[in-house]
Parts: sequence; C-alpha cells; structure tokens
Amino acid sequence: MQSSTSFNQAWQEWWQGTCNVRAWWTLARYDIVLRYRRSILGPLWLTISMGAMLLGIGPLYTELFGASKTEFFPHLALGIIFWQYIAGTINDGCTTFSNAANHIKQGDNPLAVFGWRVWARNLIQFAHHIVLIVPLAIWTGLRPAPANLLFFGGFAILLVNLLAATFSLGIVCARFRDVPQVVSSLMQFLMFVTPVFWLPDRLPPTAQAILLNPFAILLDVVRGPLLDKPPAAWAWWAMLGWTLTNLLVAAGLFVRKRSQIVYWL
Amino acid sequence: MTRIHLQDVSVAFPIFGAYGTSLKHTLTASVTGGRIGRDSGVTIIQALQDVSLDIREGDRVGIVGHNGSGKTTLLRTMKGVYPPQGGRCEVTGRIASLVEPVQGMEPEATGWENIALRGVLTGMAQSEMQRLTPEIAEFSGLGDYLAMPVRTYSTGMLMRLAFSIATSIRSDILLMDEWLSVGDADFKERAEIRLREVVEQSGILVLASHSAELIARECNRVVQLEHGRVIRDATLDRPEPVAG
Repeated sequence: MQSSTSFNQAWQEWWQGTCNVRAWWTLARYDIVLRYRRSILGPLWLTISMGAMLLGIGPLYTELFGASKTEFFPHLALGIIFWQYIAGTINDGCTTFSNAANHIKQGDNPLAVFGWRVWARNLIQFAHHIVLIVPLAIWTGLRPAPANLLFFGGFAILLVNLLAATFSLGIVCARFRDVPQVVSSLMQFLMFVTPVFWLPDRLPPTAQAILLNPFAILLDVVRGPLLDKPPAAWAWWAMLGWTLTNLLVAAGLFVRKRSQIVYWL
Repeated sequence: MTRIHLQDVSVAFPIFGAYGTSLKHTLTASVTGGRIGRDSGVTIIQALQDVSLDIREGDRVGIVGHNGSGKTTLLRTMKGVYPPQGGRCEVTGRIASLVEPVQGMEPEATGWENIALRGVLTGMAQSEMQRLTPEIAEFSGLGDYLAMPVRTYSTGMLMRLAFSIATSIRSDILLMDEWLSVGDADFKERAEIRLREVVEQSGILVLASHSAELIARECNRVVQLEHGRVIRDATLDRPEPVAG
C-alpha cells in the first residue's frame, strides 16, 4: 500500500515532466544553440567535425585492417557515430541534475524535465552526425535494403536505454561526485572492447565472449540493420532483457531517491 | 481558494564533505560492516523543524529571523523546491516567486531569450507570452541591451530583468525574499509601484525580511523563526515594532 502510493506519486511526477515537452525541448535546444552562439557555422560544426574525423580515420583504418572499403568503412563510420551518441549521452547523463541546480532550485518544473532535456540535447547532436550517412552511402556504395527497417526497432531500444541511463546516472552522480569519473573511464575502456573500430568476425574464437557485452549488442541492433546485416534473434532478446533491467533500475532510483535529489545539489 | 498549509514540516539538509560524497568511502563503510566511517563527513542541518502554518487568503505574512534561521528555506519549501522529510506542505494557488530570481537565467542567452525561457519554464501559454514579452521588455527598461547575452549585464540590470519577468504574471501567491533592493532610483520607483500592484492582486504575500519597518508596513501577520522553529506567530493589527 505504502509503496504503491509512492510509486504512483513518482509516476505522476515523471509523467507531468514528460508531458512538458515545451520546457525540456526548449532547454535542450538552447543548450545546443548557446554552445555555438559565437561561431559562424553554429551547430553545423558538429557535422563538420564528425565528418573530418571519419575522413581521417576511415581510409587509414581500412588500409590498416586490409579490409574492403564497401564492407569496412560504413561499419567503422556508423560505429563511431553511434558510439559517440551512446557514450556522449551516458557521460552527459552524469550531470543531468547537478548541472540543472539553478533551474531546479527555482522550483518551477518537475525533475523529469531535466532528464528529458539531457536526452533531447544528445539526440539533437546525434541528428547532426547521422546525416553523414548520405555522403557515406554514396561514396561507399551502401544501398537501401529491406533489413534497414529493423533499424527503427533497434533505435527505439537505444532511445529507451539512453533515457533510463540519463535518469539513473543523474541521480547517482548527484549524490556521489566521483561516479562521473568512473563512468568516463569505463566508457573509454568499453569503446575498445566493443566492435566500434573493428569487425566482430575478425575476432578469434577465444575472444568471442566480449561480443556479449551489452554495448556490443546495443551497437549491433542499430548498426546491423543499416549495413544490411540483421542482428541475430538472440541479440534482440538480450537487448529486451537489458532494456527492462535498465528501466527497472532507473524507475527504482527515481521512486526512492527523487525527493532527496534537490538536497544533494 | 488560495491557501498555504504547513503541518509539522521538517526540512533537513545533509551536508557532504569531500568525504561523504565519495563512493569509495561509502563502499568502504559498507564492507567494514558500516561501522567505520559511517556518516563520517555528513553533517545534518535541520533547516526547518515542526513548522505548522496555515496561511489563508488576505494574509500578508512577514517572516523574520536571524541569518540562517530558515527563512529562505521556508519560502522554497512553499514553492515546492524542497519536499519536506517530515510533515505535509499543501499549497493551493499559482505561485510567483522572487526568491533569487536571477539564478534561473542562462548567462549565454540574450535578454529576449531569457524572457522566453523563463516564460516556458514557468508554464506560460504561448499566447500569454506573446502578450507579455513586449510588456516585460518595456518595463525592464533595458532597451537594446535585451539583445545582448545576460552575462554582460551588471547585477542591477540582471535584477531588473528577473524582476520584470517574475512580476509580469498574475499569481495568487507571491513569495519574496527581501524587498527589491537593486536598481537605480528611476527603476526603483517604477518597481515599487509594480510590486504594490502585484501584492494587492495576490491573495497571499509571504515576505522574508530583516527590516522591521518593512514588515510593519506591508504585513498583517508576522512569523518569527529561530533555528528552524516558529517561535512567534502573531497578527499585526496595526504597525508595531518587530524584532528582526
């Protein structure tokens, strides 16, 4: 009884913040616009710097790995774009509430607004990166395929997971201020054990286990469909379980800790 | 009906030193059976303790007390910033808050953008914003400065903008932390008039101040806080000297 009412309250608070799309979308948009305020090209720099990175690293790594341009370059480019989105949101999520202290202490909006804000501003950044798929497809001869449709399922899963991470990490990091450092170190490490830069089929059989890391599966369900390599059925099931776990953790933290967050800021 | 009802409200702040916020120390504490290092570095500050207040329409409440007696925390609790750890706080009515209004500004954004942002964040409707924006701009008297990022503003200019935004909306309850204190003579005069209007419109005024004279002039009820407790709650029939 006690716990069900507090769950309902938390849900209502969360939903109220979620419905205030205007508030969190405006905050997210301002975050991006203001960052590039004094530059001429503005947020277009996001696209340019990503493009420069892909141009630099793509042909070089294709040669280094002795892979074909058609097979490897799109794999690498999309790997980097998605990884940047995933790791970027996770690192940014650590400061969800601590960086919004000035707004939170005004008391005008439910906390959920600030979670959605971080989620949305990273989505905006990602949108500036993913447009590069067009020149990439033209250059490397990547063609549309029916399997591409699976991307929408994978991307939905990614969005839900990133939202959950934003809330969970935002709460934990508001309380424990060295967790952001732990998270960023961990993401560095994970970048190398996730097939961002390398092809999973080049992995020796003895090392196949690292493909079980949730980030590898997550990357597979968004990148695979775009490369016409549909992920295996087990990958979807694994991701479903992982997503539920993530949601449960985030919901648990939010229900139990949300009223303490403002005291930690 | 406009009402602020606090029943045995307690608010306590955990203050973590560098020690308390570190995960390592919490983990160490848990593996050592929670005995060594438990709560070390965490000081609890009891900001409000068993505060009960029933504020109704027509009340002009002055909150007095020393620095750190809980005045601002009380205002923020009414605003809903701090969910009380004990007791209940129920507020009916739209609240306008002049508690550190400058804090809610984005330094890199222009004055215009900050007006829009505050409008969105305080839940103004699109039509309301369209109607109020020119009004706010005019009242602030900032003119062309509104196109500049607010980080270039002086303290006085920031205060003018924040004040103009916060007092532009009709509200049932007005929370104030000290009377307006920044601004040049000209603005001060206009602000006084505006403030008087807003106060008259509001069903409830809660004003925290150190100025006994101000409280006597503006309020019909005085609440004195000491160490987070209400030690006096009296009706002011006519102006009388108040301990500040």
